[in-house]
Amino acid sequence: MQEHEPQTHPSPRAPLRYRTVDIVVPAVLGVAVGVVFWLWNMLWTVTTPVFAFFPPAQALIYGMWLLPGVLGGLIVRKPGIAVLTSTAAAAVSMVLGGPWGVEIVLAGFVQGLLSELVFAAARYRRWGTPTAVLAAAAGGLAPAIWDNVRYYVTWPLSHQIAFGVIVVISAALIGGVGARLLTSALARAGALAPFPSARR
Amino acid sequence: MSAPARTPHPAAPRPPAGPAAAAGRRAWLARANPAAKLLAAALVAAGLVPVVDPVTSGIVLAAALPLAACSGLRGAQLAAVGLPLLVMAAAIGLVNLLFGQEGWAGALGAAVRLLAIAVPSVLAAVTSDPTETADALVQRLRVPERPAVAVLAALRLIPLLTAQWRTLGAARRARGLEAGANPLRALGVFLGKAFALLVRAVRTGTTLAMAMDTRAFGTGPRGHARRSRWRAADTWLVAGTAALLCAAHLVSLAAGTWQPLGIGG
Repeated sequence: MQEHEPQTHPSPRAPLRYRTVDIVVPAVLGVAVGVVFWLWNMLWTVTTPVFAFFPPAQALIYGMWLLPGVLGGLIVRKPGIAVLTSTAAAAVSMVLGGPWGVEIVLAGFVQGLLSELVFAAARYRRWGTPTAVLAAAAGGLAPAIWDNVRYYVTWPLSHQIAFGVIVVISAALIGGVGARLLTSALARAGALAPFPSARR
Repeated sequence: MSAPARTPHPAAPRPPAGPAAAAGRRAWLARANPAAKLLAAALVAAGLVPVVDPVTSGIVLAAALPLAACSGLRGAQLAAVGLPLLVMAAAIGLVNLLFGQEGWAGALGAAVRLLAIAVPSVLAAVTSDPTETADALVQRLRVPERPAVAVLAALRLIPLLTAQWRTLGAARRARGLEAGANPLRALGVFLGKAFALLVRAVRTGTTLAMAMDTRAFGTGPRGHARRSRWRAADTWLVAGTAALLCAAHLVSLAAGTWQPLGIGG
């Protein structure tokens, strides 16, 4: 594609264009995070069946699943990338097999969409820690609600609220702060050269 | 058709879709359009989440289980798909029993509903080839084409990424970076490897994008090498799912067991 000027400083009125790299890198990044998830899942499944007995512990690490969407958005800084990255990461769990099936891809899509709304509200111009934290927390609202109605249906309201709040906080910390730190670290490693996020 | 890319790495369970999708004479569910299976699975989730009684979900589950016979999965593959489902259902039943307010009945309802939603969802996943799924999403559900193809291409990199993960582990061991029995160090090693994998992923993605650019990816209208066909059977699958959900709700209402989702149990 003819891109003489790499879009490091897109002017607000420039028509929205997606280079191939803008689409393919988040897809591959999402899949890589998905592979790490999968190993992470195995690790937890093998080491701690405790989670079944003490679900709040699982809520604490839930934020990990909200990371890819925010990470993709922070790196590429274009509309729709959070949805793309989040969906790609979730698709790995479906393709590699597990007890979720296509449902997990829909979950990844919705989580990415909620994060996307925050980036849109920031008009795709603010990419600091506050935006990242809000985007991840917004994404965390999906499992905070869905997991309660899907899995923990008979819990008393207090438990359900506690679970939801812990999920959102975990999302904000692991998914939001984590994605922000990761983006900076990737930029320092020189991996983000094609993207505006290469420079702060 | 997609056999090489689907080759699993040793640590991964064999993706059960492979044989089902690649067999010459394919099972009924494997031939159905992936878009139809996705819609049916989503319909079941939407239809069953608002009710918590075991009867409504039980009817749907009873109707969905025989579909496993139409999935082309046999013996060990079926066990590999079913076992995690049973473990998850048992775990969810248990947490609802331990922390819930409705005792055994509530726990049973939660576990049965979980399975009734998850079984169609998993069957849809294991009987759908990723390439056919991407074709169906683009051609039938009007999902934007470039991102769909990009995700499909990225999914083909799973074996490469997992191989890189093992290489990173071997490199760290060679340098004496081993966790031993210390879980904190294990976490440190894990995060270090994860970061290195992400760096590799971005670089791989950049190279892949360049390769796709040289083949003029996304510069003009695309033709479709494979047509994603919507057959009468696909309409029947979706319509049948909707009818089944209605029937399940009606039977449960008539039996007086129907119980809607309430906030806080």
